[in-house]
Amino acid sequence: MWSRTTLLVGQLQSILIKKRSIILLQGIFKETFFDSFKKTEKERVFVLEGRPSFKAARVSCQELLKRGFSPTLIADNMAGFLFYRNWVNRIHLSFQIKDENGILCCVGGLIIAVLAYKHGVPIKLFPSEENLELVGKSEELFYLNGAKTVPPGIKAYVPLVEWVPNKYL
Amino acid sequence: MKIKESPLFWPAKLKGNILFVLDETLLPERFKYIQVKNTKEAVDVIVGMKTRAFGQFLVVLNTFLLELGNGKNLLKRIETTAQALNNSRPTFPFAEVTSIVVGWAKQAQEKKMDVKSFVKKNILGYLRGIRMRRLGRVKHLAELIKDGDSILTHCNVSGELAMAAYLCRQQKKDVHFFATETRPFLQGAKLTCWELKRMGADVTLIADNAVASVMVDGLVNKVIVGSDRSCANGDFANKIGTYQIAVLAKEFRIPFYVLTQPSSKIQRGEDIPIEIRDEEELLVYSGKRIVEGQVKGFYPGFDVVPYNLIGGSIAININ
Repeated sequence: MWSRTTLLVGQLQSILIKKRSIILLQGIFKETFFDSFKKTEKERVFVLEGRPSFKAARVSCQELLKRGFSPTLIADNMAGFLFYRNWVNRIHLSFQIKDENGILCCVGGLIIAVLAYKHGVPIKLFPSEENLELVGKSEELFYLNGAKTVPPGIKAYVPLVEWVPNKYL
Repeated sequence: MKIKESPLFWPAKLKGNILFVLDETLLPERFKYIQVKNTKEAVDVIVGMKTRAFGQFLVVLNTFLLELGNGKNLLKRIETTAQALNNSRPTFPFAEVTSIVVGWAKQAQEKKMDVKSFVKKNILGYLRGIRMRRLGRVKHLAELIKDGDSILTHCNVSGELAMAAYLCRQQKKDVHFFATETRPFLQGAKLTCWELKRMGADVTLIADNAVASVMVDGLVNKVIVGSDRSCANGDFANKIGTYQIAVLAKEFRIPFYVLTQPSSKIQRGEDIPIEIRDEEELLVYSGKRIVEGQVKGFYPGFDVVPYNLIGGSIAININ
């Protein structure tokens, strides 16, 4: 069933997003992972940016575009909005390490897993394309597309991976 | 104790017939005020997000002061100004503010008083009152912040958190702040880090996706955010990203505080119109695309946070 929203798009156009329709991608996936999508899911895949490198966004979007999909990019702080509106169908989450207690995944994975847990949305796990360091350099947050984003003298903390306990998976 | 004021606390000032509005999109590199002379220019600075949050409130009230000097049929002019401002952006409660001014104009006309002087006097008195209440809230916020606290904040709280940080320093409290970047405009990196640093506060920038990490690792013990709109049931709207922070704070048992301006005009969060901004604002930064190719973007400007996720509200009355 389509849920008509009263959201305002740009210059007051209304949009329609189907309830429980969005497939949300978090992390960096192997190339073969992208072959698993059905043609009917062409318009439904939303990709999280994956600060600081945006590698998650770049890899996922390029692979989906190659396969004729039309991915939609959202910033890492926008996932909650989709959950709040009950728009998320399922999550595909990449992991670096998996054991009986949980997974190690790209930073942001815990946010998505807690949101999924709270909203009753299923998570599918896939091995990651690459193993990231635990923590990145502060400078990675100080620039975006080559432009400086912060005044001098600011510190940054840049975790790149985080642990997601089984409770949320 | 005198409070050092952040430029973001009162980012629009009327001098003569010109309203000077701090261009927050240029910070921290450039400190520049945009000159606003009429309603159209006021709407432009609001729509272009040159100012936001409390700055919008100041622009609205000062725009009426600008228009009071322009010709006859003041009630009609005030109503036209109110309509233009109400239509500028959907989520901030412009109509709640402009209706107060329209009400004063109607009252003056009905009682055969001078509309211009009555409305002007009321707006200036109203602004003075709001200023005093916000300064009071800064002091309240400083009392809430304890020695040893590590506080996570999101987007920007229009000067109040930074000024509270200044008070805490004067009170010899050792306080640390984490500021989220707040994509896509990076208000956390550009504004919050900047103003906290100006106040001598200890601030660390994190990406929006690092919020759960700092919580689960025990690096923060309070969350403090602002709000753009409040509902009768206690729900509120704030910058996109606030909802997931509130969910995580609840999950990891970290007190979540919000600075609100209570209103009974709208019943619950679901009724707040949410602005969806142009996807290009998300897809392009500094003239370059984030990802190549025909990728779509989705940029909701605000989240709604249900009242049951809020640990405490620090409210001021603006009506």
